[in-house]
Amino acid sequence: MILRVVNFVVIGVLVLAAAYVYRIKFDSTVQAERLTKIRSELRHERDTIASLRAEWGELDSPARIEMLTKRYLPLKPIAPTQFDTFNQLPDRPPQLVKPGSSDPIGSIIENLEEPAAPTGSIADSAEPVAAPSPPPAEEAGVAETERPAVKSGRLDR
Amino acid sequence: MRSLLYGGDIDRAAKARARVGLAIVVFAAVYFVIAVRLVTFAMVSDGRTAHRVVGGDAIATARPDILDRNGEVLATDVRVPSLYAEPRRLIDVDEAVELLTADLPDIDATELRDRLSSKRGFVWLKRDVTPEQQREIYHQGLPGIGFLPENKRDYPNGAEVSHLIGHVNIDNQGIAGMEKWLDGHGLAALHMAGLATDRLQNPVQLAVDLRVQHALRDELVAARAKFKALAAAGIVLDVRTGEVVAMVSEPDYDPNNPREALDPTRINRLTTGVYEMGSTFKAFTVAMALDSGRFTLKSSFDAHGPMHVGRFQIHDFEPENRMLTIPEIFTYSSNIGAARTALAIGVDAHKAFLKKLGQLDRLRTELPESAEPIIPKHWGDLNTITIAFGHGLSVAPLQALMGVAALVNGGLLIPPTFLKRTQEEARALAKRVIKPETSEMMRYLMRLNVEKGTARKADIPGYYIGGKTGTADKVINGHYSKASVLTDFMAVLPADQPRYLLLIMLDDPKVLPETHGFKTSGWNAVPVGGAVVARIAPLLGIQPRMDLPDADHLILASLKESR
Repeated sequence: MILRVVNFVVIGVLVLAAAYVYRIKFDSTVQAERLTKIRSELRHERDTIASLRAEWGELDSPARIEMLTKRYLPLKPIAPTQFDTFNQLPDRPPQLVKPGSSDPIGSIIENLEEPAAPTGSIADSAEPVAAPSPPPAEEAGVAETERPAVKSGRLDR
Repeated sequence: MRSLLYGGDIDRAAKARARVGLAIVVFAAVYFVIAVRLVTFAMVSDGRTAHRVVGGDAIATARPDILDRNGEVLATDVRVPSLYAEPRRLIDVDEAVELLTADLPDIDATELRDRLSSKRGFVWLKRDVTPEQQREIYHQGLPGIGFLPENKRDYPNGAEVSHLIGHVNIDNQGIAGMEKWLDGHGLAALHMAGLATDRLQNPVQLAVDLRVQHALRDELVAARAKFKALAAAGIVLDVRTGEVVAMVSEPDYDPNNPREALDPTRINRLTTGVYEMGSTFKAFTVAMALDSGRFTLKSSFDAHGPMHVGRFQIHDFEPENRMLTIPEIFTYSSNIGAARTALAIGVDAHKAFLKKLGQLDRLRTELPESAEPIIPKHWGDLNTITIAFGHGLSVAPLQALMGVAALVNGGLLIPPTFLKRTQEEARALAKRVIKPETSEMMRYLMRLNVEKGTARKADIPGYYIGGKTGTADKVINGHYSKASVLTDFMAVLPADQPRYLLLIMLDDPKVLPETHGFKTSGWNAVPVGGAVVARIAPLLGIQPRMDLPDADHLILASLKESR
């Protein structure tokens, strides 16, 4: 009786083992196929990278860039006189906006109204911002178009 | 045994046990065989398929990429399909020829028919088919026609770096320039072993800077057109490491189309050609005199002309007819002065000095192309006199540049290289040839020559260029020709702390209205050199310095302090 039970158990274990081995075998086939596929993809990617690099080299070649620059840009070679050293730089201009200020544009306008104006170059670049403050009556239209621009500038911050 | 299994007189139970036992043994043996076969299949078959993948991967072998010193690609491999046929498997040759010629207009129909009719197993039909053509042919579904991916060398910069990197043949083997050097250094052995098929080889980095190379080539192309010269060539050499940062020999060729390289006018004049360098050789003569310790910058020589040597007469281009000091000989470029200087040192010492500076031996670099200098067979007084001002000894321009680099860099002769090299590596290879003080004096003389002498047109403000000009009459049919000359200019940049040496060489420049009838170096090679320096100095990281004192105060003064 016991022998018969053992027999059935052994048969059951055998069937399970066979199923398990089959699964491992199947899985390994799947993995091997995946590996082959990835390898070929890898090779394909490497080939693509190589041809893209070659293409980039062609697009990036100095001869081509120079030709495009000459055709489309007003750039010119740098003359030796256009280089300068750091100790020749002028001092940093006084800060227009205080670092922690909650209303940066407001504080720029405040600073501008003070008679002690900063350096000329800063005043020039600040002019478009200062322009709308005294708008003449006939140019109200212009002032109106400029005001939203200032507002959007504030939103961007 | 037999009686145990079949005998009638044996006990039934014992017989049954024996039969079962036999069955067990037989089954165990069968399963053992199966198990062994399974294991061997699992091990052997795996290796065999992997090998097959590698074998069919590529026919033309892979080569490492070549990069410039900043990592820009100079040469790389791209995978292109190539068309092949297996004639034995073809069913209808006429149909195949008809369909293939329709898709490949540039293929020769009769040759194609010959190839397809042959009884060989495998023939190439066309290398490098475009993807569109591949698709068309694929959709025709011809039996026995197929594609194999092959590596093809691609040079994205075209003619820019042609002579430097060389090119490959259709089987991707290097046949010129650095490509050939690569093959000579292990790559060929890898190919033989069939191992050089993957892309994972380390790229090779050269010393050349693509931007500098382009600027130099651009200026040389313009100069060659302007002066209607036969050829224009230039090198930028790092005097501290011997690295060749740029090298152009115009006319050059496109390595993507190697057939152009066969044209003999397109040779690399800088390493393959030898030339009489003209007055630039006076730098060697003067350096020799100063280094001997017998002469100083104050020494003077008789420069009354013409000088008679045997049946020859030596003339100066602009005769001064007086005693000239060494700086005057250098800046007026006096042939007579240089000749007397060399004679004062002596023939043997002159020869030994040039030998020490590597001017008499063949210069070998990584490039396979090199040329032997042409040295007079019997070196007498007359030879020393002419060689003192750069005639009668032909050297490769790169070789002369190496010598001049040693004159200005503090006296170290460093063999030039096309591969990246650090200063430490260069110092290990370097050989001291002249004293550091002599080198300082040479820099002073070269700067003086730009301030007051023949190279005034190269005085680009801010870069403190020093230089020596040279104009050599070309030898045509065995005689020196007055009509055609070779002009060169060597510029050291900057003259007080030399970093780079530039050579500009023009072969047979013509007279232009703006050169006032002159075709000496100062009117053509020197302004080109100045223009090149102004373009490349910012790329090489040399900062312009304005308001520097003249050579007398900056270089000569520091020389006196150090004494």
